Amino acid sequence: MKMIVVFEKTPRLRHIGHLDLMRAMQRALRRSGLPLKYSQGFNPHILLTFAAPLSVGMPGKREIMEVPIEGEMTGEAFLEKLRPALPPELPCLWARPVDDRHSAPMAQLAAALYEAELDETPSGLSDAVTAFLAQEEIPALRKTKTGLKPCDIRPMIYDLSLNSGKLRMCLALCEKATCKPDLLLSSLFEFAKLPRPHAIVTRTQMFGKKDGAFYPLEEM
Amino acid sequence: MNEQENKRLEELLETVQKPARYIGGEMNAVRKDWNGVRCTFGFCFADTYEIGMSHLGMKILYYLINQRPDALCERLFMPDADMADKMRDAGVPLFSLESRAALNEFDIIGFTLQYEMSYTNILEMLDLGRVPIRREDRSDQDTIVVAGGPCAFNPEPLAPFIDAFMIGDGEDVMHELIDVIRNGREAGLSRMDILKNLAKLEGVYVPALYDVEYNEDGTLKSFSPNDPAAPAKVKKRVVKDLSGAVYPEAIPVPYTEIVHDRMVLEIMRGCTRGCRFCQAGMLYRPVRERSMERLLELADKLQASTGYEEMSLSSLSSGDFTCLPQLIQALMDRYKDKRVSVSLPSMRIDNIVKQSLEETQQVKKSGLTLAPEAGTQRLRDVINKGVTEEDLIRSVTDAFECGWSTVKLYFMMGLPTETDEDLQGIGDLAKKVVDAFYRVPKEKRAKMGVKVTASASVFVPKPFTPFQWAAQDTIDMVHEKQAKLRQYLKLKNVNFNWHESELSMLEACVSRGDRRMGEVIYAAWKRGCRLDSWNEHFKFDQWMGAFQDCGLSPAFYAYRERPYDELLPWAFVDAGVSMDYLKKENEKAKRVETTRDCRHGCNGCGLNTWGVCDWVKNPPLKDKPQTAAPLAD
Ligand code: SF4
Repeated sequence: MKMIVVFEKTPRLRHIGHLDLMRAMQRALRRSGLPLKYSQGFNPHILLTFAAPLSVGMPGKREIMEVPIEGEMTGEAFLEKLRPALPPELPCLWARPVDDRHSAPMAQLAAALYEAELDETPSGLSDAVTAFLAQEEIPALRKTKTGLKPCDIRPMIYDLSLNSGKLRMCLALCEKATCKPDLLLSSLFEFAKLPRPHAIVTRTQMFGKKDGAFYPLEEM
Repeated sequence: MNEQENKRLEELLETVQKPARYIGGEMNAVRKDWNGVRCTFGFCFADTYEIGMSHLGMKILYYLINQRPDALCERLFMPDADMADKMRDAGVPLFSLESRAALNEFDIIGFTLQYEMSYTNILEMLDLGRVPIRREDRSDQDTIVVAGGPCAFNPEPLAPFIDAFMIGDGEDVMHELIDVIRNGREAGLSRMDILKNLAKLEGVYVPALYDVEYNEDGTLKSFSPNDPAAPAKVKKRVVKDLSGAVYPEAIPVPYTEIVHDRMVLEIMRGCTRGCRFCQAGMLYRPVRERSMERLLELADKLQASTGYEEMSLSSLSSGDFTCLPQLIQALMDRYKDKRVSVSLPSMRIDNIVKQSLEETQQVKKSGLTLAPEAGTQRLRDVINKGVTEEDLIRSVTDAFECGWSTVKLYFMMGLPTETDEDLQGIGDLAKKVVDAFYRVPKEKRAKMGVKVTASASVFVPKPFTPFQWAAQDTIDMVHEKQAKLRQYLKLKNVNFNWHESELSMLEACVSRGDRRMGEVIYAAWKRGCRLDSWNEHFKFDQWMGAFQDCGLSPAFYAYRERPYDELLPWAFVDAGVSMDYLKKENEKAKRVETTRDCRHGCNGCGLNTWGVCDWVKNPPLKDKPQTAAPLAD
């Protein structure tokens, strides 16, 4: 069976890159003594997939990985073993066993919620957010493998709100369409003609989509 | 570090290269409450995180200090140049990875001295950490700065900056040192009184308590204590029983890749081969082995606590470990299912091991590293490297038959008595290694063909070796020899690497330097030198300027042969191996005479009078034929 695991990448570890985080999780799983599955080949490694890589510099409140294991086990039993194998800066929060055929979180991913903690809130930003969202089209330049490509990011913004210095952004995150929070922030501040303040952006939740509605990815 | 500095640091981290090395938070990093302990120790490594975190001694002492309920130990590393500059600009002090405490907040800070060319980093770290650089500028409130490690055996070049040196095995003296400082602080003693109490500990050298005089020609005239608390000779500390000694059962597991990212089992300390250029071989005598039982216990604990997928064995000459084949077999059996690979030391692969190698593929076939050190038998006899060409060829042939195909050969140039013939010998040897590969039947050897890399470093005479009196080749001589070697090594399948001769010359100056060398290091740092062992930061001209500033000549330190009756700056340190023995060995070298490995019988190196060497009475290989020295480790 497989375990869907929710963990936190705390702000202190935000500078750890995706591959380093993968390796850290591999080693944590090895320390845990859990019945893991290994890949074949000369350098076998633990089978493990993350729902979506997290950018360097970004903390994640509810990150998701999928861990195939041998045999049956409850989420609580799994957590009990994994918890002491992780440093306090990288705690696991929740786990849920699913069938091997259960579609992978990576495949079900549709959107993510981000929170940008602005060092200062320029006056007029609140109105600018409203006006920004009222646009029918938001042209932007998206970075792709083949260079900068013009695109419309309006359909990829599911929600945007400002609340006591925090910008909450719900943005598309899937294979077909992804809007990175950085792109949204630069578009927004350019549109508002305001200086962009320094901000730490945290990914707080990931979502899947079913019958037109969003659900927390870990519960899908 | 206060709130504001912390905030500025967070911003800095977004703009520097590889920020992950400044954040800590690793598994097994120890987080203790500062209010719950009586003594705080900042462990400093004068190089970057990637290098320092690969270092075993630091892990041992970090673990040892943190085991004390009354003390805590946190890690501090040298920031890379971009980070150091930005920290200075932003007013962020050098900080510990665990709780981001500034260097000057610790009761004690300790540097481990691994390499002379990291000394400017020490000054840079003290400065970034807001600790007065010169010990005489420190007040009673300032932190006490101590240092240990192999380079502490000649402490004099750092005497102006370090309050107290620990000489010998650190884990033997650390608790006593912490006790003295903690008690002194709690009793409100002055800095000087605490230092005097430290000087009473065996193995501790307090430079403030000694006076130095020089002759007109610049040599040392006298070196003597100026206080009754200070002994005339400082005797190194020795851990007698390695199995009983503290060894980490958990080590911090880094997130970013470091140089040696694996668990390390120190199987023994010391080496009795007696290579005459090798400082570690003399400093770490006598040989002490860890018991199999203890090693397997440690291996299990380390594996469980780190989750590492690779384990390596560490010692100066692992091939000499009495139960090496049994140990490797036991480790491989244990870790087969856990998917841990074991990196083998050097190439004395026993048949049992060779078989399991083929069966399990549990051993990494990374490059094979061998160190014949010199190109001819004559010169290998001079340096007492008991390796013959036959040994070398047999070893590489073995390895080629097991599928290895890349070989690194380490040589030294500028060894005493070296001639052109010895340089040619290096070329010949490389050629013979290539030939050995092609003599292995096609179906047995690797398909991609053989790759031999020959590296030639420049010989640096070191204190407490038989060559401590020797002159180093001048930079011009080295360049000439490098050009010749390039010729001799223009061979198919062979690459040639050489080292910066300028760096080796400075290393020779500092490693045999006296107290005045401290002023050169200070002047060099003032002129912007730091991270000297990193090619891109090395500023040779500034170092030469620093010598000039101080009115000293590098040639005096590097190129001058010392007469036996000269008072050497490190002569007050008793490393166990006696000066008489070193002289005898030096004379034998001149006569091209070898000395046996003392496992066949004690050679009377001096430690025989200390009662710490088990082999004086019971040499383990008594009456057994002499075997070849391991080629590398
Ligand atoms: S005392 Fe004798 S046996 Fe021991 S290290 Fe010295 S020479 Fe070797």
